Amino acid sequence: MHRALKIYKILVAQNLKRVMEYKADFFTGAVSFLIDQAIGIAFIFIIFSQIPQLAGFQFEQIVFIYGFSQIPKGIDHLLTDNLWSVGYFIVKKGDFDKYLTRPINPLFHVIAETFQIDAAGELVVGISLMIYAAPHAALCVNALTVTLFVFAIPFCTLIYTSIKIACAAFAFWIKSSGYIIQMLYGMNEFSKYPTTIYSNIIKFFVTYIIPFAFTGYYPALYLMTGENPLFNIGGAVIISMVMLFVSVLIWNKGLKAYESAGS
Amino acid sequence: MIYAENLRKEFTKIIKDPGLKGSFKALFKPRKEIVVAADNISFHVPKGEILGFIGPNGAGKSTVIKMLTGILTPTKGQCRINGKNPQNDRKKYVRDIGVVFGQRTQLWWDLPLVETYSVLKEIYEVSDENFKERMSFLNEVLDLKEFIRSPVRTLSLGQRMRADIAASMLHSPKVLFLDEPTIGLDVVVKDNIRRAIMKINQEEQTTVILTTHDISDIELLCDRIVMIDKGKNVYDGSLTELKKNYGQMRELTFECDNECSMSAETFKSGLHLSKDDIFIENDKNVFKIRFNSDVIPVGDMLNYTLSAARVKDIAVRDADIEEIIRRLYKEGAKPNE
Repeated sequence: MHRALKIYKILVAQNLKRVMEYKADFFTGAVSFLIDQAIGIAFIFIIFSQIPQLAGFQFEQIVFIYGFSQIPKGIDHLLTDNLWSVGYFIVKKGDFDKYLTRPINPLFHVIAETFQIDAAGELVVGISLMIYAAPHAALCVNALTVTLFVFAIPFCTLIYTSIKIACAAFAFWIKSSGYIIQMLYGMNEFSKYPTTIYSNIIKFFVTYIIPFAFTGYYPALYLMTGENPLFNIGGAVIISMVMLFVSVLIWNKGLKAYESAGS
Repeated sequence: MIYAENLRKEFTKIIKDPGLKGSFKALFKPRKEIVVAADNISFHVPKGEILGFIGPNGAGKSTVIKMLTGILTPTKGQCRINGKNPQNDRKKYVRDIGVVFGQRTQLWWDLPLVETYSVLKEIYEVSDENFKERMSFLNEVLDLKEFIRSPVRTLSLGQRMRADIAASMLHSPKVLFLDEPTIGLDVVVKDNIRRAIMKINQEEQTTVILTTHDISDIELLCDRIVMIDKGKNVYDGSLTELKKNYGQMRELTFECDNECSMSAETFKSGLHLSKDDIFIENDKNVFKIRFNSDVIPVGDMLNYTLSAARVKDIAVRDADIEEIIRRLYKEGAKPNE
């Protein structure tokens, strides 16, 4: 564990040095991300300028859910962004060879290689929105709710990470799975709003199948109501653990199917 | 040291008809075919040996190397290095090996070369003391000093190859896999790389497995060769023995003033040769004769040809590895154990 942390620090440092080498690229990334976020927030403003309430939630409550949904997404983005590259080209081009000839876990190695500071954007926006909305969002704040709420964050993050690991691993069989990651990952839009605004089918889908509702709405709902921690928080914990287990299983099977590329 | 036992690797290939239509058809109704890239490959390499692993393009060399380095999982069979198996014990296994793929790099592309070494130092847990010693040894053998502070993307191919070999040797592996380490390099750099490989092998008793298409690599470096073709082991023994067994093929190229054409039949009857000992290619005013110099000395062949044609220019060279393989096939493989 100690060694893993040390290697992690070194690989991240390498990555940051690399980012510094290409400053223009970094700033372009940061700006395009801010535009993306601005559009998302403007969208909420537009909706609430037309209707005062959405499925029984006040404007600030929706903003709070939206803000919170950016936190697990941002943490995952910050730490595991290289999984996209696995899906898009590392496997296809045979560059995965390198990870298999080094004495560290390939999944850890591939994840540790990128530290995506672009994600700071999501985290800054998310935290700002939460701070802005919290005083008016009728939160049920006490030691228990806050502790459980914060406790849930790593598990919410793992939901994102697990989906990316499993989808990226498909590349070991089908060579390129970037678009599969993109498709499933894109469903995180559902995490930004209360599930009650969706039809039952979609609600079931984002709760149990691709459970993005647990990365935003349910934990935020818990902090607002203080009710049903077993489902709102416990659900995230159990689902994320199951998903992580399954995705690592798929990944490990994938390693055995890896075919490299001709040279 | 290294044991490969009955290694077999199958790939599933989806057959596509040409064009967009073919791609659609393959998407919805894939026709699958199993391709055997390596079949029943076995060999043993003792400690300290340099083994040349050769064969034509697409013979399955890289597939076998990738199984030996733990990148690919064999469909059947197994390999062991120092008693360790890459599939069961990958992390310990890869500590014993160093790998260089000539067509790829494991260096951090955007950063100064020296950064790669400091990361690998941590990954392989090399102590500060060993690292220093190691770097000075590699520096001496591969002459890294002049470019160690330059970003990897600015290195020339020859520099990059030296840097990659150093990267694979940093953790003092017992076995070094070099997949086409001299590909695309000029003569001087090739020579440097060969000398470095030899030095590493002599000073550290590192076992080396080398794939190459360059016959000089093999002649200068390899104690033994294993040859494969179409995924099968076709020869295992020394190069001299191979040449002795399968004839010393030479190639003579003649250029004439005018268009000229030579027929193998004339040579066969004129020099009493069998049909496997001589091959002739005609191309306008140039013709090439490949022949077995054990059966007929080069001088005799020259004399005979010069008396038969008006020749302007002559070139003589050793037949390359492809030629030996071609010939090997005509005579039927007799792998030695």
